[in-house]
Amino acid sequence: MFKKFLALPYALFMLLFVLLPLVLILVFAFIDATDGSFDLVANFQELAKENALGKVIKNSIIAGFSTGALCLIIGYPIAYFLTKKEFNKKGVMIGLFLAPMWVNFLLRMMATKAVFNVLGIKLGMGAVIFGLTYEFLPFMIMPLYNTLLKIDKSFIEGAGDLGATPTKAFWKVTVPLSMPGVLSGLTMVLIPSVTTFAVTEIMSNGKMMLLGDFIYSLKADSLNMAAAISFVLLLFMIASMLISNKYDKDDGKGGKLW
Amino acid sequence: MEKNNDYIIQLQGLVKKYGDKTVVKGINLNIKEGEFVTFLGPSGCGKTTTLRMIAGFELPTEGKVLFDGKDIAGLPPYKRPVNTVFQKYALFPHLNVFNNIAFGLKLKKIKVDFVKKNGEKAVKMVKLKDFLVDPASGKPDFSIANGDYYSYVDKGYIKLRKIKKTVDKMTKKGKVKKVVNGYKYYIDEKVRRALKIVGLSDYETRNVDSLSGGQQQRVAIARAIVNEPKVLLLDEPLGALDLKMRQEMQLELKEMHRTLGITFIYVTHDQEEALTMSDTVVVMKDGEICQEGTPIDIYNEPKTAYVADFIGESNILDGVMIDDYRVNIVGAEFACVDSGFGQNAPVDTVIRPEDIEIKKVGKGQLEGVIKSSMFRGVHYEMLCDCNGYEFTIHSTVESPVGSKVGLYVAPENIQIMTKEHIDNTVEVTFTSNTTFDLYGGEYEFDPTALFEDCSYDADQDVLTIAGGEYTLKGEKAKVNFAFTDIDMTDDEYAAPLAGNVDSMIYKGKNYIVDIKTDDNHHVYADTQYLWDKGDRVGIKIYKFGLVECQLIGKKEDGNV
Repeated sequence: MFKKFLALPYALFMLLFVLLPLVLILVFAFIDATDGSFDLVANFQELAKENALGKVIKNSIIAGFSTGALCLIIGYPIAYFLTKKEFNKKGVMIGLFLAPMWVNFLLRMMATKAVFNVLGIKLGMGAVIFGLTYEFLPFMIMPLYNTLLKIDKSFIEGAGDLGATPTKAFWKVTVPLSMPGVLSGLTMVLIPSVTTFAVTEIMSNGKMMLLGDFIYSLKADSLNMAAAISFVLLLFMIASMLISNKYDKDDGKGGKLW
Repeated sequence: MEKNNDYIIQLQGLVKKYGDKTVVKGINLNIKEGEFVTFLGPSGCGKTTTLRMIAGFELPTEGKVLFDGKDIAGLPPYKRPVNTVFQKYALFPHLNVFNNIAFGLKLKKIKVDFVKKNGEKAVKMVKLKDFLVDPASGKPDFSIANGDYYSYVDKGYIKLRKIKKTVDKMTKKGKVKKVVNGYKYYIDEKVRRALKIVGLSDYETRNVDSLSGGQQQRVAIARAIVNEPKVLLLDEPLGALDLKMRQEMQLELKEMHRTLGITFIYVTHDQEEALTMSDTVVVMKDGEICQEGTPIDIYNEPKTAYVADFIGESNILDGVMIDDYRVNIVGAEFACVDSGFGQNAPVDTVIRPEDIEIKKVGKGQLEGVIKSSMFRGVHYEMLCDCNGYEFTIHSTVESPVGSKVGLYVAPENIQIMTKEHIDNTVEVTFTSNTTFDLYGGEYEFDPTALFEDCSYDADQDVLTIAGGEYTLKGEKAKVNFAFTDIDMTDDEYAAPLAGNVDSMIYKGKNYIVDIKTDDNHHVYADTQYLWDKGDRVGIKIYKFGLVECQLIGKKEDGNV
C-alpha cells in the first residue's frame, strides 16, 4: 500500500506538466477566439487562410527530411565505427561525438553563424539544414549506436559462414537488424527538427520559418491558432511513434532507445 | 608438404595466442572424410578456438589448417567450404525460417559455361537464383531459349524477375521446353529437403523467434547442411537444450551424419554426448590433445588419469608396479595385463566401478566395508572403504551397508598408466642465500637442507658448500617438491604464490589438485580437502629437494 504513494509525486507532476498542457492544447484548439464558443473547425479554417503557412509547411518538410536524411547518412557510419572496439577504446570516441550536446544549442548556433559569416557562406535554407543537422546528429547517433552495439557478433559470423562477404553481411544482416535504431533516430530527429525554433531564425537571419518558429510567432496574438497547429503536429508525432513502435519490438535481438 | 587425400582436414602445429596467453598449443590432427570427430574437454581447453580456426573466425598464430591438402588458414570464413552450427544458433531474427535457411543458397554463385549467340564460349559466375534449370536433368540449361536467352545473358539481364515473363511467353509459343527457374528449383527444393531432414517441414513461414530452443537448433542445422558443406562444424549445438531434447537430438544428429555422409566436427564438454555420437573422440586439456581414439578406446584405455577422470566414472588410485603383470594398489596385490613399467615404478591405476566384483570375504583380492549404497536405476552405486581408500562400485546386486565384502577385479579391467607427474620440478632463481623466486613467488628455504655439506657464515651472506664459498643471489637451480609438501590456503596473501584450482582428481582418499598460477604454470598438490575448480588459493611449500645446480658465483674477497 505504501509503495503506491511513492508514485504520487510523479503522477502529480505528470498531471500538472504533461497531461494538463495537452488538454489545454486540445481545449484551445477547439475554441473560437472571437466568441469563446466551442467550434470544431473555426481555428483550422483560420489557419488555412494564413498565407505564410503554406511556405512554412513546405520549408518544414524540406528542412525536416533533409536533416533526417543527412543525420542518418552521417550518423550511421559514425555509430557503426564507434561500436568497433579499435575505434572506440573505452568509449572515449562516443563521448567526443556526444559532447556537443553539453553545450547550449543557442551558443552553438551563434558560433556556427559567426563561422559562416567569416567564411562568407550565405545564410538560408542550406545553413538552416546544416544547423539542424549539427543540432540533432547526436540524437541520431545515440539510438543507432545502442542498436548496433547490441547486435550479436554471431549473426555477422553466421552470415560470413554462409558465404556472405563482409559487405554482403553488412547489408543483409547488420542493416536490417539496425532498423529499430534507424527508426528511433528518425523519430528523434524529424519532428523535433521541424518544431524547433531559434535555429532557423539564427541560421537564416530571421528570413525563414519552420513550424516551430511559426507557432512561436503566433502565440502572442492567437493562442487558439497556435494550439490548433500544435494539435496537428501532435497527431503527426503520435503517428510517427506508432509507426516506430510497430517495428521496434523489444525482442532482445536489437537495441532500442526507449 | 605432406599431402594425403584420405584426410579432408589436417591440423598441423596449430597455435593460437591472445596477447601472451596461449590458448591452443600446437595441435596436430588428421580428420578423415565422413568421420564424426568430437573435441571434448572442459571449458577453456581450447576446443572452441580450434573449431573457430577451422571455420575461419579466428586466424591461427602459427600452423596450418589443410583442407583437402590445401592450406586454408588464411582464408576468410565466406571462402571456406565448411559451415557452422553455432551454440546460440545465431538465426537471423529478421528473417523467417525459409529465408534463414535460404540465406547461404541465395549468395551462392556457380561457374556456368555457355555459348554466346556468336558461337563464342564464355564462363560466367551466376547466382543460383539467377538461371534456369531443366527439370528433367536438374541441371542448369542455357540452350533452352534458342538464342533468346543468350541475348539476355549477354546483356546481363539474368535477373529472374525480368526473364520470367519472356520465358513464360516463349513456353506458351512452344519455343522452349517447360522450364523451372533456378530459384524455385535450387532454393525451394533444397530448403524443403533440409527442413525435412531436420523434421521441420511446414515451418517455412514461421518466425524464428516463435520456435522453441530445439526447433531453433534444427533450423540452424538445416541452414548449415542446406549448403552441402564437405565439413559441418558444430559448436556445442545441444548445450542450451534440456536433457530429454538433447538425447533425442544426439540420435538425430548421428542419423543425419549417417545419411548425409559428410564430415562432422563436434565440440562439447559433455562426455556422454561425445561417447554416444563420435567415431573419434579428441580429449583436450589446456590447449593440447590428451588422447584421441574411438569412444571405446578412450573409455577402456584412457592414457592418463585426467582422461579417465573426465570420461565416465572411475576409481583412480595410486599404484606401484611390483613387477611386470603385478601391481600393488592400496596395499593389495592385483594381477594385471600391463608390463614394461619396471620394478617398483609408481603408476596411476584406473578401475571402472562396474568392473569391481563383490565376493565373499576372503574370495577377493581386497577386503572392505560397504559404507553407503544408492539405487541408481539399473544398478546400485556403493561406496566401499578398503584400507582407508574409497572405491565406487556399480552392481545390480546390493550389498547391505556395513557388511564386510571381498573385492575382485579381473586383470584386464585394471588400466595402468605412467604417472604424468611424480613431483613438481621447477627452475628457480635465488634472490638471497635463503630465498629464491619460484614462478614469481619468493620462498624461503634452508640451504643446509638443500645442499649437501653446507654451512653458513656468521651473518649468513656467504655459504660454504663442499668447501667452496658462494653467494647464491642471481644463481639458478632446479628444485623439486613433493605433492604432499604443499599446503593450500584460502588466503592467497598468506603464501608467496597464488593460483587457481584448474582440475582435481580423487584418489580414493585424497585429491591431487592441479593449481594454475597466474603465469600459467602448473603446481600439483596432494590434499585431503575438496576444492572447487576456479578456487583462488595460496601455495605454501615446506620442503625442497635439489635436482640440479651448477654454482658459479663464487664469493670474491671484498664483494659484499
